[in-house]
Amino acid sequence: MTRLLPDFLHGLKFRTKITLGVAGMLVFCGLGIGIILSNMSSKALLEEGRKRGMALTSGLAFRMAEPILAMDFLQMKNLIDNVHGQYEDVVYVFLTDASDNILSHTFSGGFPTDLLTVNLDGNETQPVLLSTEQGLIYDFNAKVALGERNLGTVRLGLSRSEMDAQIHRQRLTSLFSTLGVVGLGVLLASWFSRTVTYRLNRLRESAEEVVMGNLDVQAGFNLDQNCWQIMNCQRKECPAYGDVKRRCWYLAGTLCPDCKDREYPYKMDSCRSCPVYKHNFGDEIQDLAEAFDVMAITIKTHIEELTEREKTIARQQGLLKTIMNVTPDFITLQDKDLRYKFASKAFCDYFHLKENEVVGKTDFDIFSGQQADLNYHEDMQILITGQALSKEITFDRPEGRKWLHVIKVPVYDQDESIIGLLLTARDITMLKKYQEQLIQSQKMEDLGRLAGGVAHEINTPLGIILGYAQLLMEDIEDEDLLDDLKIIEKQTKVCRKIVADLLGFSRYSQSATETVDVNESIQEVIKLVEHIFSLNHIKILNDLDRHIPPLTGDKERLKQVWLNMLNNAADAIGQDGAIYIKSKLCAHRQRLVVSIADTGKGIEDENLSKIFDPFFTTKQVGKGTGLGLSVSFGIIKDHGGKISALSPPPVEYLPDDFPRSEHFGPGTVFIIELPLDHDQETDTEDKNGEHCRT
Amino acid sequence: MPGKLPYFFILLSVFIFSSCTDREEATKVSLEKREEITFRPQLPALTYAYLPQYSHTESFQRHHRLVEYLSEQTGLPIRQVFPDTFDDHINMFGQGKIDISYSNPFIYVKLANRFGARAMTRIIEEDGQAEFRGQIIARADNHDINTIEDCRGKSWVAVDPSSAGGYLFPLGHFVDHGIELNDFREVVFAGGRQENVILGVLAGLHDIGSIREGSLSVVEDKIDINQIKIIDNTRSYPGWVYAYSPWLPEEIVQQIRDAMLNLDYEHDHEHRAILEAARFIGFIPSDDQDFDPVRELSQKVGLELD
Repeated sequence: MTRLLPDFLHGLKFRTKITLGVAGMLVFCGLGIGIILSNMSSKALLEEGRKRGMALTSGLAFRMAEPILAMDFLQMKNLIDNVHGQYEDVVYVFLTDASDNILSHTFSGGFPTDLLTVNLDGNETQPVLLSTEQGLIYDFNAKVALGERNLGTVRLGLSRSEMDAQIHRQRLTSLFSTLGVVGLGVLLASWFSRTVTYRLNRLRESAEEVVMGNLDVQAGFNLDQNCWQIMNCQRKECPAYGDVKRRCWYLAGTLCPDCKDREYPYKMDSCRSCPVYKHNFGDEIQDLAEAFDVMAITIKTHIEELTEREKTIARQQGLLKTIMNVTPDFITLQDKDLRYKFASKAFCDYFHLKENEVVGKTDFDIFSGQQADLNYHEDMQILITGQALSKEITFDRPEGRKWLHVIKVPVYDQDESIIGLLLTARDITMLKKYQEQLIQSQKMEDLGRLAGGVAHEINTPLGIILGYAQLLMEDIEDEDLLDDLKIIEKQTKVCRKIVADLLGFSRYSQSATETVDVNESIQEVIKLVEHIFSLNHIKILNDLDRHIPPLTGDKERLKQVWLNMLNNAADAIGQDGAIYIKSKLCAHRQRLVVSIADTGKGIEDENLSKIFDPFFTTKQVGKGTGLGLSVSFGIIKDHGGKISALSPPPVEYLPDDFPRSEHFGPGTVFIIELPLDHDQETDTEDKNGEHCRT
Repeated sequence: MPGKLPYFFILLSVFIFSSCTDREEATKVSLEKREEITFRPQLPALTYAYLPQYSHTESFQRHHRLVEYLSEQTGLPIRQVFPDTFDDHINMFGQGKIDISYSNPFIYVKLANRFGARAMTRIIEEDGQAEFRGQIIARADNHDINTIEDCRGKSWVAVDPSSAGGYLFPLGHFVDHGIELNDFREVVFAGGRQENVILGVLAGLHDIGSIREGSLSVVEDKIDINQIKIIDNTRSYPGWVYAYSPWLPEEIVQQIRDAMLNLDYEHDHEHRAILEAARFIGFIPSDDQDFDPVRELSQKVGLELD
């Protein structure tokens, strides 16, 4: 209940509030002042009535001296009756002498003796109020005195009803006057509040328009005379000329002679003495409305500038984001609480996260507890010390081991305090692989050199052992001994073969330089093994590019490579499969590519980088030495080429009609690239060069 | 809002208190209970009357102290009565309503001749004389009247036909200068009031006026007496006299006479106050023979004393 009135008042319109407020004040003040004045005037009227009664009584007493001295009862009676008859509110008059004898009175039908018991002392406060059957009566007592002698007393009764009626009339007049003034005041308040609220409403509507986005508003009123009219100005180049919405003092760069060329409000000092300002300056509300208009226009200008800047920033942001997302490097930005503020697409993709799953999170939300704890201490150290960190880390991923080069640097703000941490990380797995291959190459080169030296030294004793064994075989007829010698001969040949391979691997053997038709060498090898392979149901397919020019090399050694490759393929297939040999010219890269794909059991990923190591083999013990691929690697390297393997083979290394079977393994493809001689004709390339991708 | 509530109530209280009128206590009186009132008769007393040459209030204020003094000194109840006119005074004396009369010598002579009044004392005027005279006055700016001769054919206002200083003495003076009553354009009487004579002349209603000597000082606080000039003075005659009724016992007369003669203007503060109020400074014994010059004057001017 106690909130009802405030709630009701709060819900009223401002105009109603002003009207009610002013009306309330008028009623309050009007009635208050009316009551006060009415009481004052009532008191004054009563006092006036009392004074009048006292004056009448005193005057009568003064005139009674002579009649009393002369005991002229007629004159006494005449004087008393004169006063009694002259004034309607004089109820009675009577006169007593010094001995309280009633000398004369205006009563008929006897004298009311009660009057002789009241107001006897003329010195008491006059008059005395009597309550009679005829209403309230003021009884006045005045002595008839001559000098110090008291000759008698005049008593006069004055009816208060006439005074009360007059007071009542005065109060009614006061009430109606007050009500009239209050009513007029309310009308004026209503008009005043309407005048004020009309402009406030206009201001409010303008504010609502601004809130809704329309900044082209006008809360102020148009002027009856604008600055160029007052100043009789013809300077149309002035920014104020023709602008009826804004007062000239709100504009910068106006061309008035007295106007200092400064922006509002700094130029107001000079404007206040300007006749235009004095003429057009309004009250506070108009000032507010005009300032509001200027504010709206200023905001509009600012917003347009901001919009343009926003577009620029958005473009730059987009560009930056594109760069960040396109770059394969990981880029993240963390604040000083190590919460991610940004994470590049590469980072998110790498950890299979979305951007919103990273931004705002910490490492504890993303990584394992151990990893996050490690990162946390590392990051905090950077934030505390300001020392950048550069390191290489490795991850074991399902697709293999990954290497990352991580750089963490602190981010400083303008006051040189650290506000965050920038991380960049690059996947250097490939680089590491190349590093390993380089090391491997170097290792193999050293090993080959070692093996070559050893083989060269062993080759001679082996030749002697073989020679003497064969000599012995010619001389010995004992079958058992002969069988033993044959075993020695065979195993010595095996050793010599191994030594020869080792020499080949280490290029220790002599190589011939001649013009080699690669396709022809391949065909020769195919013919050599085709029949043997067919016994194991291994089919050899080929697609040899006829445009391959002859290249300079060692034909026999190349044939050894092809043979090694085919043997390896057959070994991998075992029974029932297919081998596909393809040669291709990549003229733009000045090389030819020979790929040998099989349907064998394939090579594990972890072994792909090791298969070219000497003596590395996945074959059973006794089935292979692990030198075939190493030797091939060495031969191809001698020819300036390179050899690699992929398992399973990508489809581009297989023909469309390559036989398929569920019994086939995943297969492997060996890709051998050989550089062309520079003076060869190379502009005849198959338009479909997709097979040249290696 | 709760913090502002007390201020609102204070303001409201101010209005409420200010709106309260002083409620007067009324004494309950019935105007219906009535009785017929009769005047209680006054106690018997000796009556004392001052010849009404001034208003009753003036007469009262001059003599009520003397009356009270005489009453106290003699132990007799004495009450001042107020005749309206000279004739009224004479008539009341004749009717026995005045036991002690204070009058001018002309009235005394009439009272003595008609009703046997006897002189008791005479007063000593403020100038120390037991005699007095009349004065003939005119407006100071009336340049037509400068001597007694200039009064002939003029309008004359006198105090009363029974006035001594105000009529009889001036009339004798005019007769001595050969001017008879018929020589005046008119002779008007002012009802026994010296002040009316002076004011009548000052107002221009009459050319000349006759007053007893000393009357001008009575009105000096009412008018500018410089606007009045004195044309001439009469000879002096015996002054005002206290007479008593022939029915008054001699011992009472003696008591009163003694009381009068005992008043000491010079040495008694209270007596001085009494005498100053009465505008004279003392008494001397007097008898009827003192007033023979007045009788002669009356005869000379042709006035009847009986």
